[in-house]
Amino acid sequence: MTKLSQPSQENEVEASVRLPVLIFFGCAASWLALGTLLGALAALKLIWPGFLDGPAFLTYGRIAPAAVNALVYGWASSAALGIALWMLARLGRTPLGYAVLPVAAAICWNLGVFLGICAILGGYSRSIFLLEFPGFISAILFGAYIFVAIWGIVLFRNRAPGAVFVSAWYLVAALLWFPWLYFSANALLIWSPVSGAAQAPIAAWFIGGIISLWLAPVALASAFYLIPQILGRRLVSYNLSVLGFWSFAIFAGWSGTALLVGGPVPAWMASAGIVASVFLFVPVLVTGINLLGSLQGSYEALGWSPTLRFTAVGAMSFVIAYVMGGLLALPSFNANFFFSDVFVGQAFLLLIGFVSMCFFGAIYYIVPRLLSRPWHSDSLISLHFWLFVVGGGLAWVCLLSGGMLQGYALNDPGVRFASSVGYASPFRLVTALSLIAMFVGSQCFAGVLFRTMLGALEETKSSSQAVTV
Amino acid sequence: MNRMPLLIFGIFLAFAAAWLGLVAYPVVTLGSLQPVINEESGDVSPPLLSGLAIAGQKVYAANGCVSCHSQMVRPAYLAHDISREPEADPKVRQTVARDYLREQPAFVGWQRIGPDLANYGLEKRVATLSDIHRHLYDPRSVMPGSIMPASRYLYIYRKISGQPSNESLTGLTGPHAPAPGYEVVPTEDAKVLAAYLLSLKRNYPLSEAPEEPTE
Repeated sequence: MTKLSQPSQENEVEASVRLPVLIFFGCAASWLALGTLLGALAALKLIWPGFLDGPAFLTYGRIAPAAVNALVYGWASSAALGIALWMLARLGRTPLGYAVLPVAAAICWNLGVFLGICAILGGYSRSIFLLEFPGFISAILFGAYIFVAIWGIVLFRNRAPGAVFVSAWYLVAALLWFPWLYFSANALLIWSPVSGAAQAPIAAWFIGGIISLWLAPVALASAFYLIPQILGRRLVSYNLSVLGFWSFAIFAGWSGTALLVGGPVPAWMASAGIVASVFLFVPVLVTGINLLGSLQGSYEALGWSPTLRFTAVGAMSFVIAYVMGGLLALPSFNANFFFSDVFVGQAFLLLIGFVSMCFFGAIYYIVPRLLSRPWHSDSLISLHFWLFVVGGGLAWVCLLSGGMLQGYALNDPGVRFASSVGYASPFRLVTALSLIAMFVGSQCFAGVLFRTMLGALEETKSSSQAVTV
Repeated sequence: MNRMPLLIFGIFLAFAAAWLGLVAYPVVTLGSLQPVINEESGDVSPPLLSGLAIAGQKVYAANGCVSCHSQMVRPAYLAHDISREPEADPKVRQTVARDYLREQPAFVGWQRIGPDLANYGLEKRVATLSDIHRHLYDPRSVMPGSIMPASRYLYIYRKISGQPSNESLTGLTGPHAPAPGYEVVPTEDAKVLAAYLLSLKRNYPLSEAPEEPTE
């Protein structure tokens, strides 16, 4: 376990963010469990289409987007908001004022996600990837986000004097980018949709942005904070951090249109997407060297720190996923593998391997400090880690290998379409089983999180009773 | 990097560049595309959609068909999407921005768990509305081994009272075929969805997407 030593000035900072951050984390863990469950169910339906096929809300076309939205907006975004608030307070050594508003925002955000998932299952989906929620629900999410973002930026402005750490750059950037990203996409595609002819590039830009301009920066901020913090050493190089940050900021926004190679957009847009995806190699390799290089010589720390273990897997997945994204953007690969499970595999590695693993690491670091007590169970944390690494790894390998066969079949006019389904099928079965393993892993995560919170609650109750007696 | 205004300005600029190129620019240019009118024949490309087909788009969206079916044909120099449909006449061509003019939203898609539907209405096996309904009601009775979800919730299974409805599905076999004295009729949602699917024909001429040799 990580050591718990808290000077009293830090206690005030921790206490000020405790409630909103714990609400975000608690909801996030519940969404993760629901998302992996729905994901496993959707994956099973690709093998046995007759499985639970009666009612409308259980049809694949509703379950699959519900799973993705639960994971992106419910799990990853809630966790990211909690991590951003805690880390900005901690980095700036500033207590959060008027915490009741971020608490209300946390509740609104999760209520919005709940309504959105119900709307998708109930047949009110807008069917634009990651913008499926009806307009009034995305307005709720936008409003809730703005409150958290303002509080985050205020924390940053009121920070104690001193150098601004690299994590703060990423957090401030993410908090500023997401509202612009989400507002533009909703305004132009949902609230007041533009002509269908202009929708494809905006939708592709948004898909790229929600990972690369919102979740990835928070995950990187957390990795940049945690690795040196746990090992008690500096990052490999400050200059590499600067180069990594700015090159990522410049290229990430353009990378989404790599989804439209050969699509209904002017050719230069797809080319810009390809070029940006390949140029992302620069920040990815630089940041990878910076993060993983800091680990060098201290691998034994991976044994005793679950946070470090999760974060190291996240940092490695970051490098692999973005290198894969750059390769898949190249027209020769893209022609064969676009539309196949290979692209699902890359998105999966980004969302689960990189973003989620970094967030697990951060939550395992933050919660004991917020509650001033150790985790309820170390063995459950280990189980969670291995179920996600083995389950997620297996799912990724299967999506990739099955997807390659599927992709070659899809792009060969001599092969019947049905064969592409047949080739992918055995791999999809293993993917479904791996998702079930990850569902169990998410139960371990939720279990250890909630039991630790309950333990802290009981302790507070008994101590307050002791005071009254 | 300790100067706050510089940091914020850089963050703003990095985002604004991509936003101008990939959001503002397409809204201004692609967003103002108009249908093309052939002066000789008076044909409009893309053709107007029927009210039924417009309603069908909403059913297509509500049931997440785009999770598995793309509607995007890539050019022949890049991929073999065109040569996959050699039967279509006139020949299928690359899809371009103007093809999505009447789509709300544009179901371009990014997955082909099921086949591309950009030209579903041109397929030979889709002869009648009844074929489409049978496929939606029980996909495996039409295509053994298909993994498409059965959309039986879009149909009403009922006892025949008096004459069977002239809308009732014919030729159903397998476990979900109606028992004697019963019939399966499409709901409004199923009817408009079928109308939308039949309307998917992107073979009208557009100058920006000339017909290409497939070889």
